[in-house]
Amino acid sequence: MAAAEAAAAGGGGGGSSSSGKPVMVVGIDDSDHSYYALEWTLQHFFTPGGAQQYHLVVLTAKPPASSVIGIAGVGSAELLPTVEADLKRTVVRVIDKAKKLCAEIEMLHDDPAADDLDLLRRRSAQVADVSYETIEGDARNVICEAVDRHHAEILVVGCHGYSYWKRAVLGSVSDYCTHHAHCTVMIVKRPKHKH
Amino acid sequence: MKVVVAVDDSDGSRHALAWVLDHLLVAEQEPEPEPERQPPPELVVVHAHEPLRHIVMYPVGPGSAVYGAPSMMEAVRAAQAESARGLLDRAKRICQRRGVAAEAVAVEGEPREALCRAAADMGAGLLVLGSRGLGAIKRAFLGSVSDYCAHHATCPIMVVKPPAATS
Repeated sequence: MAAAEAAAAGGGGGGSSSSGKPVMVVGIDDSDHSYYALEWTLQHFFTPGGAQQYHLVVLTAKPPASSVIGIAGVGSAELLPTVEADLKRTVVRVIDKAKKLCAEIEMLHDDPAADDLDLLRRRSAQVADVSYETIEGDARNVICEAVDRHHAEILVVGCHGYSYWKRAVLGSVSDYCTHHAHCTVMIVKRPKHKH
Repeated sequence: MKVVVAVDDSDGSRHALAWVLDHLLVAEQEPEPEPERQPPPELVVVHAHEPLRHIVMYPVGPGSAVYGAPSMMEAVRAAQAESARGLLDRAKRICQRRGVAAEAVAVEGEPREALCRAAADMGAGLLVLGSRGLGAIKRAFLGSVSDYCAHHATCPIMVVKPPAATS
């Protein structure tokens, strides 16, 4: 956590990162939608062979254990350390997976000249200019605050694809960020398959 | 990747188009494109307008409503088509000035549904919308095209915010 804070403190200031590039923040959690969003972003905005246009910040929020337990009944105090440990493990897993995705971006593109499917998939690349952050708090605020701190140009989030009622009850981070972030917001969703 | 930008007559959408041209299509300047590189994104500008069904005009004075005659409807439809063409032409010119060739498409229907349908039909990789920056209450009553598209589009969506007013 201290490392994240240090990274956060060092990253602010100015309209861009230390490398002078505009900043793109990708907010992820431990869901398939998020990993898909990160992969999609890497494939389309961090293509190999070209100069990297953005400084990438991969961000995940760790909700405080007390918010997860909520207004539980008796014995919730005993659950706290277990939940806290589990949440910590989750964010470590998320960041590790993000690092792996950034290390090997699989380039999938339709090149009519290439007959060999293996040739299409094997081109991989690496994102050179990327930083990872884990911040404690509610995802909505963490993301919007990070956008302000980095003066990000684009915020990318996945989308759980909740229905109207689910969104009303569970809340939607992507909804909140679209309305409250102070930059362009890109919501990446899995393409729906037409039946 | 096909980037579809929705345009209408608002400042928000003009800003969105300018933003896309400035930030997403800078890759055009690569001198020698390698054959294995991803091709640069194609740009399509889309304008959605609602088709006229019936016009009922209420004269200012006391009296009953006047049902629009077919010839009147034709005239209004023609004017609508003309304004759509003008809008799209202006958008194409803005793109050309930045050295980007854009395709222009006009679609009919309620804007939010028409945009989502058009993006799906065109196989868009990204749908870009401006945002009027309405507050929560206004959004609930006036409806928000970008809100609807964010939930119903089948492809990734990008909402470009209006430039922050200096406060």
